[in-house]
Amino acid sequence: MGTNAILEISGLRKQYGQTEVLRGIDLQVDKGQLVCVIGPSGSGKSTMLRCCNLLETPSSGRIVANGHNVLDPKTDINRMRQDVGMVFQQFNLYPHLNALDNVKLALCKVQKRSADEARKIAMSALERVGLGHKAGAMPAQLSGGQQQRVGIARAIALAPQIILFDEPTSALDPELVEDVLGVMRELRASGMTMLVVTHEMAFAHAVADKVVFMDGGVVVEQGSAADIFEHPKETRTRSFLARYANRLVH
Amino acid sequence: MQTSSGFFFTFFNVDIAVQYLPALAVGAAVTLGTGLAVVLTGTVLGVALAILRALECRVLTLAIVAFADVLRSLPPLVILIVMYFGLPEVGLPLSALFVTWFALSLVLAAYTEESVWAGISSLPDGQMEAARSTGLSWWSAMRWVVLPQALRRAVPTLTNRIISITKNTALGSVVSLNELLNAAQGASSLSGNPTPLMMAALSYVVIFLPLVILSRWLERNWVRC
Repeated sequence: MGTNAILEISGLRKQYGQTEVLRGIDLQVDKGQLVCVIGPSGSGKSTMLRCCNLLETPSSGRIVANGHNVLDPKTDINRMRQDVGMVFQQFNLYPHLNALDNVKLALCKVQKRSADEARKIAMSALERVGLGHKAGAMPAQLSGGQQQRVGIARAIALAPQIILFDEPTSALDPELVEDVLGVMRELRASGMTMLVVTHEMAFAHAVADKVVFMDGGVVVEQGSAADIFEHPKETRTRSFLARYANRLVH
Repeated sequence: MQTSSGFFFTFFNVDIAVQYLPALAVGAAVTLGTGLAVVLTGTVLGVALAILRALECRVLTLAIVAFADVLRSLPPLVILIVMYFGLPEVGLPLSALFVTWFALSLVLAAYTEESVWAGISSLPDGQMEAARSTGLSWWSAMRWVVLPQALRRAVPTLTNRIISITKNTALGSVVSLNELLNAAQGASSLSGNPTPLMMAALSYVVIFLPLVILSRWLERNWVRC
């Protein structure tokens, strides 16, 4: 394991009753890396991601996130979660709060910052995602792409060491996808460490430092974007990518 | 003309109204005070129970559901009578005021718990998850993210329940609580004239109409989102 690792997952397993969703995942994300996880629906990608900040409780394995041993009962989970941000497929903005208050909430209630300080940090986070002018807007008044960018602002405002993205563009209209991917590219350029579950193959190909292909609850293959997309070794990877290529053609 | 003045003599007799006004004012104050106390304790207890139920601890949930279901199936009058006339038999004499307040508070708590719980459980899991993912404790996420939305969703059913249960302070007359209806009945039989009853009816409107109007305002302005 490299000393640069922000996130180390080893032997991660997750069972729901008799169904084994994750069957021993090993994965490492180094500081400043953007790692994309691809794979068919039901392959366990999102479950794996949700285990990293304990939204799901793994059955066994080991996860170390920015030095926090996530599965150790002694670990302060709420402290760990400030270091491990998350962006959701359905945005999950708080509909009763405006964009600014969505971003401010944890700054005030978790990090106990003064109202003034929280406001400044939240505003700069909103400006970073290009929504400074929408600070007073309620989520229902924003487009899907704008809501997701507020979701990203909510995550980055806490200055996390890594952000987990759970299919961040899957619920978006096609013309809004690029807005969100653009923000993610800028985050990447600024050195943010990111673990991204996605179906955006072009994005993964162009931007990812590492691509992980999952199927049936295991990591089938991982490597550089060029390795996975241009010279996949495993049959399952090839057939998955072929299905995607066909879909793009049609 | 003759019948008309007879009608006013019977139902809106000024002399009788003036004579019994102080007694009815006391009754109205008791109704208002008991009603406010019931609203306060009933909703606070109900919201607290809904939050405890959201903890999803099996034993706790079972107890809360049992409490809510039993209290919702009992007629409030039965609870009042059992408490007032039954408990002294086991050495627990309670005042009429306490029994009326306590019984109605429990009934209101049961209905409030159901409404607020319905609001909580109707929210997508993603709300709690998003809040927890930013490091908020379960309690903070409940307080700042889940509850504000759940209460908004509960308002239409909740305000109706609050009004209908608070009006049940009139049942206190059965256990000789000196509230508005009891005072009016007493005055009416003493004077042999129903004017005090008409005064009580008017007083109920004066006391509860603002609550009804407030609930309409809440439903219009606070329920969104």
